Amino acid sequence: MPTRDPKVLVSEVSVTFESHGRSVVALDRISLQAQVGEFLCIVGPSGSGKSTLLRVLAGLVRQSAGEVRIQADHPGTPLTAMVFQEHALLPWRTVRDNVTFGLENRGVGRAERDARAREMLAMVGLARFAQHYPHQLSGGMKQRVGIARALANDPEVLLMDEPLAALDAQTRTIMQEELLRIWATLGKTVVYVTHSLEEALLLGDRVVLLTARPGRVSEIYPIDLGRPRGLEVRASPAYGVLLEKIWARLREEVVRAIADDRGADPEEIGA
Amino acid sequence: MKALGRWLTEHGMTVGSPIALLLAWEWASATGLLRAVFFPRPSTILAHLRDLALDGTLWGHTATTLARIGWSFTLAAVLGVAIGLAMGLWRRLREGLDPVFAVIYPIPSVLFLPLVSFIVPAGEVALVVTSAVTSFFLIAFTTTHGVRQIDRLVVEAAVHYGARGWRLFATVLLPGALPFIFTGLRLGLGFSLIVVVAVEIVSASRGLGALLWLSWQILKVEDMYATFFVIALLGALLSYGLAALRDRLLPWVPDVGDR
Repeated sequence: MPTRDPKVLVSEVSVTFESHGRSVVALDRISLQAQVGEFLCIVGPSGSGKSTLLRVLAGLVRQSAGEVRIQADHPGTPLTAMVFQEHALLPWRTVRDNVTFGLENRGVGRAERDARAREMLAMVGLARFAQHYPHQLSGGMKQRVGIARALANDPEVLLMDEPLAALDAQTRTIMQEELLRIWATLGKTVVYVTHSLEEALLLGDRVVLLTARPGRVSEIYPIDLGRPRGLEVRASPAYGVLLEKIWARLREEVVRAIADDRGADPEEIGA
Repeated sequence: MKALGRWLTEHGMTVGSPIALLLAWEWASATGLLRAVFFPRPSTILAHLRDLALDGTLWGHTATTLARIGWSFTLAAVLGVAIGLAMGLWRRLREGLDPVFAVIYPIPSVLFLPLVSFIVPAGEVALVVTSAVTSFFLIAFTTTHGVRQIDRLVVEAAVHYGARGWRLFATVLLPGALPFIFTGLRLGLGFSLIVVVAVEIVSASRGLGALLWLSWQILKVEDMYATFFVIALLGALLSYGLAALRDRLLPWVPDVGDR
């Protein structure tokens, strides 16, 4: 494999919040990288700072220390575009105008915006819903709009913050397959936060495991399950082995996080 | 015809209850259960209403009252929305004005008439300004709240996608507040009407409030009730008109069409 500069380089990034006069360390010296075109998944228990890490990459939260570098290969497009957990669409804009929102803010002309919206909505299977308002769509459809909105900006890196967490199990499965298809088509670098290890194994090239608060990188697992990958991968022995291995480690962190919340000893929770 | 039938089955109570009330009143006044001097039969009131409309008395007074409502509501709406938005956007302004508003707001607005008359020309202008006071507060309150209740995640997403400054205001903060602004406008319009009529009773010689009060003083009770009816109808029409306008302008609000 030829060595090239990583697309995303996070080195020694820490984030400290002030909360009720106390400082809380959300992220503690996180270092990781994502290669060009890589699908990088980040898992960890609640409170491990997964979303915070994504917000640092998006420029929505400033790190207290450390450095973030995103390789810009296409000047004129934004570095990142984020798909938010609760979709965060603008309710007063139609599906099309939500998708073109970022382009509009950057001063892209109307004709190009409309063409781009048509293309992206076709890709997520919502071509017929361009004139609908978000409240007229189901949860899964709203998140498709969220994905189309991010992709319309043609970002260097696509950030996804538990995008399927709010959906029912069946819709989520369909959306996972859709994501794989879109990612295979566009070849974008993706940083994907999820609390579901199964999802991370299905989607990711590598899985970064974060510890309970303060979030540190516990382990980084390569997911050698081949590509293209579909739901059938879940039946393969290699998948089961990986799942067991990573879950054993993740479980420790989840128990630690629960104990931390209750101010209890991990032993009591059944660790 | 079929559609009308279905509408009537669905909204039977809405249509039925006022009719039932009027029929009961008619019967009670006719049988002497209610004293007809104070509670004339609705059919008699209707006849008087027709006379008032035919001789033109009613139209002049209605036009006067409507113009006053129009001016006072416009004044309250422009200032209320502007100041409400500013309070929603800037915490310091909100913290500074909140206690002042909290003290002034509960004062019955008619009481401002003498005070307002010291400041602006007594008469028409004072009447309009006085009628705008409570309406202004309602609109400012709801507008402020409208800005503050916007989902923070939506704002974060908009900022992430490059909306800053004026664009953030025009594409996110203002539209996000609009449903609440409309609620405030609807409440404010109602209060403009209430106070305009009240001030007309106290201090004007024209307008529906003046007509109502005059009818009462010379004991033309039927005319009083007729005026009553016109004021009520006016209030309902204005309120529903604004609601219809809202439904047209804000097609993205989920509950539109559910009423």
